[in-house]
Amino acid sequence: MTIVGTRSLRLGVAGPVGTGKSSLIAMICRELAAELNLGVITNDIYTDEDARFLRSAGVLDPERIRAVETGACPHTAIRDDVTANLLAVEDLEADFAPLDVVLVESGGDNLTATFSPALVDAQIFVLDVAGGGDVARKGGPGIGRADLLVVNKTDLGPYVGVDVPAMIADGKAARDGRPVLGVSRLDRESIDALTSWVRSVLASFRSGTHVAVDPGPMAPHFHATDEGQGYTHAHEHADHPHQHAGPATTRA
Amino acid sequence: MLLADARLPTGAHTQSAGLEPAIRAGLPAESIPAYIRARLRTVTMVEAGAAVVARSRTLIGTTDLAADLAEVDQAWRARTVSPAMRETAALLGRGYARLLSRMWPDAPAVAALATLRGTSRAVVLGVGAALAGLSASQLVRLIGYEEAQTVAAAALKLEPLDPMDATGWVIDVQPEIERMVDELSSITDVADIPAVGAPLIEQWAEIHATTTQRLFRA
Repeated sequence: MTIVGTRSLRLGVAGPVGTGKSSLIAMICRELAAELNLGVITNDIYTDEDARFLRSAGVLDPERIRAVETGACPHTAIRDDVTANLLAVEDLEADFAPLDVVLVESGGDNLTATFSPALVDAQIFVLDVAGGGDVARKGGPGIGRADLLVVNKTDLGPYVGVDVPAMIADGKAARDGRPVLGVSRLDRESIDALTSWVRSVLASFRSGTHVAVDPGPMAPHFHATDEGQGYTHAHEHADHPHQHAGPATTRA
Repeated sequence: MLLADARLPTGAHTQSAGLEPAIRAGLPAESIPAYIRARLRTVTMVEAGAAVVARSRTLIGTTDLAADLAEVDQAWRARTVSPAMRETAALLGRGYARLLSRMWPDAPAVAALATLRGTSRAVVLGVGAALAGLSASQLVRLIGYEEAQTVAAAALKLEPLDPMDATGWVIDVQPEIERMVDELSSITDVADIPAVGAPLIEQWAEIHATTTQRLFRA
């Protein structure tokens, strides 16, 4: 058994296939590798394509990027049985101690795939505008309750006929005020917003105030009100107080 | 039952019991039942034998249990030529050891395992069986069943097959598994652990370890 000397912030990146999870991780590495000690675990479904993409992107020492096979079960590997990923994270932490952040990329799955809090401390759920403007409205545990929802490739909006501000507003409506970020590799401001979110989670993790939140298996659902305002909530959160009136939600 | 359940959180879903490289090397789907029997007569016999001895050592519980378990592990290693297969077994062993340390945090056998590195799945399963109160026969049956079921489940992801057929294969090898139970349940000495290799399976495991496009870890 491995004795782990240091414990990094373990940050999961989930979302459907092709939404840009690997590119987002490459972006985070490119921006933060100079100030933070990083490692990456990828979970490809049939190849080590993502690991190779990241290695070839030259944003991180190739040794710090490792692929984990999931036996065609990317969902299981981040949720029901995180063993293979957990061992890989621990090995990376031990081999490159002290690491500040280990990014764990899930194999592209569907809208219900989210990380177990047994594997990651925080998670980003990635959608992209090219996948359809209505996806954020469809909800799901990742869209509803991941620590951050990224709407990626915002620069493509005009080409795929998607109203980006509306898609981001849909995401916000599904999330009880949790953060939503439109990101484009061509938009410097959005990149800075992403990296400052990572820094803030790391700071909160280090100060001990960060609490891993499980997005849970059930999608939050939408209730229209008479005023047409609507609110979103999830029943399993009924054990701690939350308000339906506004976007602000008290979290236990 | 839990120890042989694919839903047990030990990372087993990442495994095909060597089937993926076998198919890649040209094993036809109709030979998969024969492949299961070949595993049960070779690598699985070695694993189950080592597990039975590890269970027995754990139950005896000498003052130096760690050394006892290390000896069983060495015996298993000596009978497993392929470094890739030893590495896979060590990885799976860690998964099971993690589970045992959560379920039985105060057990001396768990403390003994914690002092060892890279302990094979067989030895850790033997310890687990002792802690869970499984008999040696139950342990062998469980390992045999798990092996057959791992191949059958992986086959469904690798080849276009009817899941009912795959279930049939597992039922069909039951006599083979019972034969393992008869042969292995009473052994207590490392010298009695079978030493039967499967060179082709080992060669496939070695090739798979350096393959980049794979669905399963091994």
